[in-house]
Amino acid sequence: MEQNNKSILEAGKFIEEYSSHMMGCGVHTSRVIRSSKRIGEALGYNVRISVFQKSIILALHDKESGESYNEVIDIPALPISFEHNSALSALSWEAYDKHLTVAELRERYEKIISSPKMNPLFVLLMVGLANASFCRLFGGDWLSMGIVFFSTLAGFYLKQQMTADKINHFITFITSSFVASLCASMSLIFDTTSEIALATSVLFLVPGVPLINGVIDVIEGHILSGFSRLVHAALLIVCIATGLSFTLMLVKNSLL
Amino acid sequence: MEIFWQTIAAYNSATWIWQAVIILAGIAATAALVLRPNPATKIIMKLYMVILYLWIAIVYYGIWCAPRNYSNIMIIMWSVMALAWVWDAANGQTPFEKDKRYSVLAYIMLFMPFVYPMLSIARGMTFPTMTSPVMPCSVVTFTIGLLLLHSRKANLFIVLLLCHWAFIGLSKTYLYGIPEDFLMAAISIPAVYIFLKDRFIPSAKENTKPSPAILKGLLMTVSLCMGAILIYTIFRITEM
Repeated sequence: MEQNNKSILEAGKFIEEYSSHMMGCGVHTSRVIRSSKRIGEALGYNVRISVFQKSIILALHDKESGESYNEVIDIPALPISFEHNSALSALSWEAYDKHLTVAELRERYEKIISSPKMNPLFVLLMVGLANASFCRLFGGDWLSMGIVFFSTLAGFYLKQQMTADKINHFITFITSSFVASLCASMSLIFDTTSEIALATSVLFLVPGVPLINGVIDVIEGHILSGFSRLVHAALLIVCIATGLSFTLMLVKNSLL
Repeated sequence: MEIFWQTIAAYNSATWIWQAVIILAGIAATAALVLRPNPATKIIMKLYMVILYLWIAIVYYGIWCAPRNYSNIMIIMWSVMALAWVWDAANGQTPFEKDKRYSVLAYIMLFMPFVYPMLSIARGMTFPTMTSPVMPCSVVTFTIGLLLLHSRKANLFIVLLLCHWAFIGLSKTYLYGIPEDFLMAAISIPAVYIFLKDRFIPSAKENTKPSPAILKGLLMTVSLCMGAILIYTIFRITEM
């Protein structure tokens, strides 16, 4: 009985950590539930899980002994990671196919979450190039692309610094949007596609992952978490619009 | 183009005494920082930068360059940079720790504001219709030189804004035929490479990816692309 208690406790602790990390790094709700249940089943437990915007309620039930484990877990605020998303999802299949023990699962889990992160300089340059490409896609010329590239570098670096300083992320979004669009507004002094440069300079801030996850959650019936994600994404979009509006009010009222 | 030089002539005629005072104050503040770096001289230098940037925002763009289109954008831009210096002074973000690795390049850049007027004279221009040491492009080269001389933990936000300004300057040289701005664009390319390399590559050895070699390569590629654009622009201007 004591051995059973220990194993259900270990499994429960692992599944709560696993599911909260997945939710924190931007995985949609149904995948988190499916993967957690898969791991539970591989370990011989029935898993019941309710996901809210800030917390998860987890219940494990041992089919043989009738022992159960219940826990409420906070969802940590983690950076979006597609790597963690796919690797952790694959881990649940590995657990199911290879019948891994909790210790083996934990070892692989630790390896995944401690894998090297992207260098901020790499992210900075790539985001700059991506935003400049957006400018081109929307019909911007080469001069506008250059201006958008440097505007994005300034705006995104500011966002990185403000996030590192743990400044409220709504204020971070407003300030970054204002600085990026202000830098891009310099295109107005040239005979170029300045309106496209201005509009695309803030695209790096658009919260794509929460928007997509929100829609998937709502479609799959997880209305609460879906709507909370959509509301959060909408607030960030309002912040982007606020920063951009400051610039437009200051430099070009006719664009508002 | 005509308005551009008219506004510069009006600015130089009206403010040359003030410009001389600003230059002397700048020489004194820089000498004090280089010869006796201590908390007082560091704060004085930052306050000098705040005043210099506000001068460019209010006096240069706000008053004398008001006839130019969208001069209000420049007022806001330079005010934001002045605000960044205020933030820097309040938080001690740039420690102004001397870095001898790039001192030759840094001293050349610190001297650049005096090369600008010489270049204008060499092009056959006369006072007041010529560039002067207290103009945006000269201030950018001076600031990059100053930060390069103290490149450890330099305020990268200010550097990136200045590099953005240098790119705008490069576009101006091409579109309006102002070859003096090539100086600024040419120095900002190696400067941005050095600042970004020194800030991010050491941390790349920690638990991050891609490897430092790939990062250096990427940064070098971006810098070379910028250099190629600069050379292309120089050739196009020569043809014009």
